[in-house]
Amino acid sequence: MDRITVTDIAKTFTLKPGQFVTVDGRESNAITVLSGLDLTIRKGEFITLVGPSGSGKSVLLDIIAGLTEASAGRASIDGELITRPDPRMAYVFQQYALFPWLTALQNVEYALEVRGVARAERRQRARHFLSLFGLGSFEDRYPSQLSGGMQQRVAIARALSVEPEVLLMDEPFAALDAQTRDILQSELLRIWERLETTVVFVTHSIDEAVYLADRVVAITARPGRVKKIIDVDLPRPRDLDIRNTPEFGRLKGHVWEVLRDEVRAAQKDWALSTASH
Amino acid sequence: MTYVLGRSAPVAGKTDFHRPALSALARLRATNSVVAGLPLLLALCLLWEIAPRLGWINAIFFPPLSAVLAALGDLLASGEMGRHVGISFQRAGLGFALAVVVAIPLGFLMGRYPLFEKATDLLVQTLRNTSQFALLPVFVLLLGIGEASKIAITFYAAVFFLLVNTIVGVKSVDPLLLKAARSMGTSDWDLFRKVIFPSAIPAIVAGMRLGVKASLFSVIAAEMLAARSGLGFLIQNSQLMLKAADMYAGIIVLTVVGLLLNYALVWIERRATHWRQGDGDQPH
Repeated sequence: MDRITVTDIAKTFTLKPGQFVTVDGRESNAITVLSGLDLTIRKGEFITLVGPSGSGKSVLLDIIAGLTEASAGRASIDGELITRPDPRMAYVFQQYALFPWLTALQNVEYALEVRGVARAERRQRARHFLSLFGLGSFEDRYPSQLSGGMQQRVAIARALSVEPEVLLMDEPFAALDAQTRDILQSELLRIWERLETTVVFVTHSIDEAVYLADRVVAITARPGRVKKIIDVDLPRPRDLDIRNTPEFGRLKGHVWEVLRDEVRAAQKDWALSTASH
Repeated sequence: MTYVLGRSAPVAGKTDFHRPALSALARLRATNSVVAGLPLLLALCLLWEIAPRLGWINAIFFPPLSAVLAALGDLLASGEMGRHVGISFQRAGLGFALAVVVAIPLGFLMGRYPLFEKATDLLVQTLRNTSQFALLPVFVLLLGIGEASKIAITFYAAVFFLLVNTIVGVKSVDPLLLKAARSMGTSDWDLFRKVIFPSAIPAIVAGMRLGVKASLFSVIAAEMLAARSGLGFLIQNSQLMLKAADMYAGIIVLTVVGLLLNYALVWIERRATHWRQGDGDQPH
């Protein structure tokens, strides 16, 4: 069953007066980051989006989240057009986005409070989701008293506490050190396998993309559209050792092959736009 | 992964018996600033006491500290000091409260809506740079010599500190927090109440600290210029009546009130931003 359908999406940003970019050798004051993008995400699957910088992966996530309006095309969840943030979805950001004046527990409760969950129940649910991530004894800590990895665990607990049908994640582990990232990837998989939530996960790391995904979606250089979808038929549950298998290496190589030209194109694009300044 | 629990910094007041005795200098560094500052303050008091007695300075204009404290005792006992201080506080408090009521909603609008800020900014900047003391004669003309003109000047003194800091606080809201809140389905009203307002609190409280002091000092000045009661009036009138001891008593009370107020406000500020205190003390 299809959960999210994205049809012929385009997104163009108009720059501030006086700012220009070079597109195909011509100066322009608008920049098209997505163009003609189609994607169907099935219920309960783990999708990762990879692509060069500037290919509009995060913008696509914002459009699905109902935070940004597409310039053309449509995005829908369970067949309904998305026009504003939908309670069926939750968003996790790279920089955690926890409220610094609330404790870990209060941060998770906030998401439940906004959705009108009664006080007693939201406390109980917030505690449950914090303990899923091993944060039970840290619930009264403020974000500034937690490490980056712990802050991101709180943020994921907050997103999952509302029991979303779709979890959107924008490079959630990119700001973490390598060891913490490995651990959080495994924790996320462990919890996802229990909750059966649909996950749309943006990443720069091919390794991460293959390790987590049922399907890896490769996005082209700007303007972004889907270049290829790679099925990852690795068995689940996966542990970290799966990365040492030849099959994992073969998949990584395949994704890299698909992306290589796009990364080159993006770098050329970037070089041109800096040269023109 | 291991978590380091608790704080590693040494706990104040805990004696470490294995440490060698502190040198005198190190001990001075360790004492808190109030204790360390006392000797100099006491020396000033001593100078105040002996200078008039030894005739280094005219005792009529500068009575010894003991005479001032005696006058202060009398003023406190008769209830006169309490009455004047109470009146000054009432005026400053009313003016300050009015400033809070006006500045915070206005600051929210100016900080949140750029177009509104554009339209109002020049007016605010113009008014802000007009001294409240220059306006006292205007207030007296328009509002009379009674309470209203005093409340107006304290309002004027405080309102811009509060306004400017509220605007800064509202503008400093992390856009990512707004995005996160919106993604969770936060309504516009809740965005104000639960995201923008808490983000702005540290800046608003800092503005309050400045505003409270400005209110108090303005009311004293206004009372010196045009009033028949209040601490400012007491100080000014004692000078006119050649009751120098009473005048110094009033100045001492003003200083003590100012000091206490400052400590109280610092304490409130710390409470309001306690969630920041953990910075730099993170488990890994």
